[in-house]
Amino acid sequence: MESSLELTTSLPGTCLPPPRSRIFKIIVIGDSGVGKTCLTYRFCAGKFPDKTEATIGVDFREKVIEIDGEKIKVQLWDTAGQERFRKSMVQHYYRNVHAVVFVYDVTNAASFRSLPAWIEECRQHSLGQEVPRILVGNKCDLRDAVQVGTDPAQKFADSHSMPLFETSAKNPDDNDHVEAIFMTVAHKLKSQKPLMLSQPLGGEGFMPMRKSEEEEEKGVLACSC
Amino acid sequence: MYLKKSKSIGASSPLNGIGKQDWNSRRKRKVGEISQALSVTPVDVAALRRMAISEGGLLTDEIRCRVWPKLLNVNTDDLPEKLAEGLRENHKDYHQVLLDVRRSLRRFPPGMPDDQREGLQEELIDIILHVLDRNPQLYYYQGYHDIVVTFLLVLGERLATVLVEKLSTHHLRDFMDPTMDNTKHILNYLMPIIERVNPEVHDFMQQAEVGTIFALSWLITWFGHVLSDFRHVVRLYDFFLACHPLMPIYFAAVIVLYREEEVLECECDMASVHHLLSQIPQDLPYEMLISRAGDLFVQFPPSELAREATQQHSQQTAASTFKDFELASAQQRPDSVLRRRRKEQAALAEQAQAQAMVVARPRAKRLIRLAVMGLTVALGAAALAVVNTALEWAPKLDLQFFP
Ligand SMILES: Nc1nc2c(ncn2[C@@H]2O[C@H](COP(=O)(O)OP(=O)(O)OP(=O)(O)O)[C@@H](O)[C@H]2O)c(=O)[nH]1
Ligand SMILES: [Mg+2]
Repeated sequence: MESSLELTTSLPGTCLPPPRSRIFKIIVIGDSGVGKTCLTYRFCAGKFPDKTEATIGVDFREKVIEIDGEKIKVQLWDTAGQERFRKSMVQHYYRNVHAVVFVYDVTNAASFRSLPAWIEECRQHSLGQEVPRILVGNKCDLRDAVQVGTDPAQKFADSHSMPLFETSAKNPDDNDHVEAIFMTVAHKLKSQKPLMLSQPLGGEGFMPMRKSEEEEEKGVLACSC
Repeated sequence: MYLKKSKSIGASSPLNGIGKQDWNSRRKRKVGEISQALSVTPVDVAALRRMAISEGGLLTDEIRCRVWPKLLNVNTDDLPEKLAEGLRENHKDYHQVLLDVRRSLRRFPPGMPDDQREGLQEELIDIILHVLDRNPQLYYYQGYHDIVVTFLLVLGERLATVLVEKLSTHHLRDFMDPTMDNTKHILNYLMPIIERVNPEVHDFMQQAEVGTIFALSWLITWFGHVLSDFRHVVRLYDFFLACHPLMPIYFAAVIVLYREEEVLECECDMASVHHLLSQIPQDLPYEMLISRAGDLFVQFPPSELAREATQQHSQQTAASTFKDFELASAQQRPDSVLRRRRKEQAALAEQAQAQAMVVARPRAKRLIRLAVMGLTVALGAAALAVVNTALEWAPKLDLQFFP
C-alpha cells in the first residue's frame, strides 16, 4: 500500500496509442425524475436499469458506435435534475458540449413546463445556436398517465427549432428507440462537424477499463443499432 | 497510553488473519473503554471521540446508539413521541423527497423483506419532512436522504430524528443553504490538499480540467451514496461525527491520493478522469485511509488552505469565509486548553520530524510524504489534534460539540 504513494515515473503513452477516435460529447438535462439516468443507461448498456438512484452532480456514460465505418465515442453526461445543482454546480460540464438533449416526462406536465428554464440554463452557459438540440418526451409506455400530448410538445419543439422524440427508456417496443434517438444525434454531429471533433492532443494514453465495463460495452456493441 | 497502543494499529488490520487474536483482545478492551467513558459523569466525550476515530470505530450499532448522541451532544431523555402528521402533501420538497426515497433501494440491506423496507422508507420520508418543517432555513438536497437513511438504519426512527436534526443544523448546514455556493466552497479545499501531498497528481488533474464534482456526492452524503457496504458507511460516520465538519473533504482527498497510479495512468481529459474517480473502489483500506485523513488534517488544517480555497472561487465564497472567520474569532478558549493544545502540537511536530521524510520541492512549500508518515504517526495524537483544531475553524459549527 505505502508504495502506491511513491512517485510514479511511468507516464501514459509509453504503449502504442489506439487510433484516434472522434468524441461526441452530449449533455442530458431536464427535471429530476424524468428519466435521464434511465435513458443514458439504456443507450450505453442496452437495457433499462432495474434500479436507479438520484443523480448527484454529474454522471458520465460512454459508448463506442460506428458510423460509415468510423468508430466514434459518444459521451453522455447525465446531470442532476434538482434545481439547486444547476447554475454554478454543473457549469463546468457544459464546456465543449457538442449537443444537448432536453428531457421531459410525458406523464408529468410540470417537467414539460420547466423546459423554458432549461433552455435558459443552456443559454446562460453560453452554448451557441449551432449546437444541436433535441427534445425527448420520456415514459411513453405509461399510456394511461400521459399529461403532455404530442401536439403541444411538437409545437414547443418547432418554436425552438429542435426535433421531438417521444420514447420510453423502459419499453423497448417503441418506434422511437432510445438507441435510434442518440444515433440520430450522432449522425447529425458527424455530418455537421467533420473536422472539429477530435480527441485532444496529448491525451493519447489508454484508458484502463474495468472488467464489468468491458463486458457491458461488448454487450452494447453486439446489440443492433 | 493511547499513543502507545495505537502505534501497532497499522500492522494488523481487523481482517488480517495473523492479527486476529490481537484484534479481538483490543476490540474487547475498546468495548470496555467505551463503556467506561459512557458511565462517568459527565460523560467523557473526548474519549468517545478517540474511540470513534481509532481502529474499528465504534464497533457495533448497539454502541453507536449510545455514543452517536453523545458525539452530537443530543439529550436522548426526551425524544419526540410521534412525528407530526399531515406534513406530506403540503411540504414544498415532498415530491423530491418521495422520488429520491423511492429510488433508494440500494441503501437497504439486500436480504430485507420488501414490506419491512417499505415501512422504513415511509419513516425515512417522515424524518426528512419533520426536520425540514421544523427548520425552514434548511433546504433539501438530493443526497440528504442517503445520510438520513444511515441514521435510521442504525438508530431507529425516534433517535434518528433528533440526531439528524442536530446534524442538519451543524455538520450539514452548509449543504442545506438555498444555494450550493457554500458546498462549492468546501469542494474547493480538495485540490489544495492534493497539491500539498502530491503535486504531480494535482497538476495532472488540473490539466485534465476534471473539476471537483466527482467528489460532490461523496461530500454531501458522507460517502453514503457511493459505498455499497453498509459497514463501511457507518465506520466512516463514526469518524466524521467525531471530527471537524470539513473532514469528509480530507477523506475525499485521501481516496484520490490513494489511487495515484490509476489517476496518472488515465487519459488526461475531463471525461476519463471524472469517470475513473467517480467510481469508488469498494475494497478500500478504510482504517488506513481514516488515519491518513487525520494526518492530513493535522498537517494542513483548513485555516492554512482557506485562502487558496477562497481564491479558487472568489465571488460567493468571500461571504462564507467571513462567516467562518467571524465564528472562529468569537470562540474563546480557556488558557488551560490552549496550553494543552500547544503541548500536543509540539509533541506531534517532533514525531513528524523524526519520522517523516520532508521532500523539498520548488512548488510545494512543505511536502511530507504520507507514505512514510501515514501509519507511523500515532493516530491517537492525530485524533486529539483533530478534535482540538476543530475548535478553530468551524464553519457553522456549534462550540458545544467540543467541550
Ligand atoms: N415507466 C417508465 N418509468 C421510467 C422510464 N424512465 C424512467 N423511469 C422511472 O422514473 C424514475 C426516475 O428515473 P431516473 O432515470 O432516475 O430519473 P432522472 O431524470 O435521472 O432523475 P434525477 O437523477 O433525480 O435528475 C425511476 O423510478 C425510473 O424507473 C420509462 O421510460 N418508463
Ligand atoms: Mg438521474
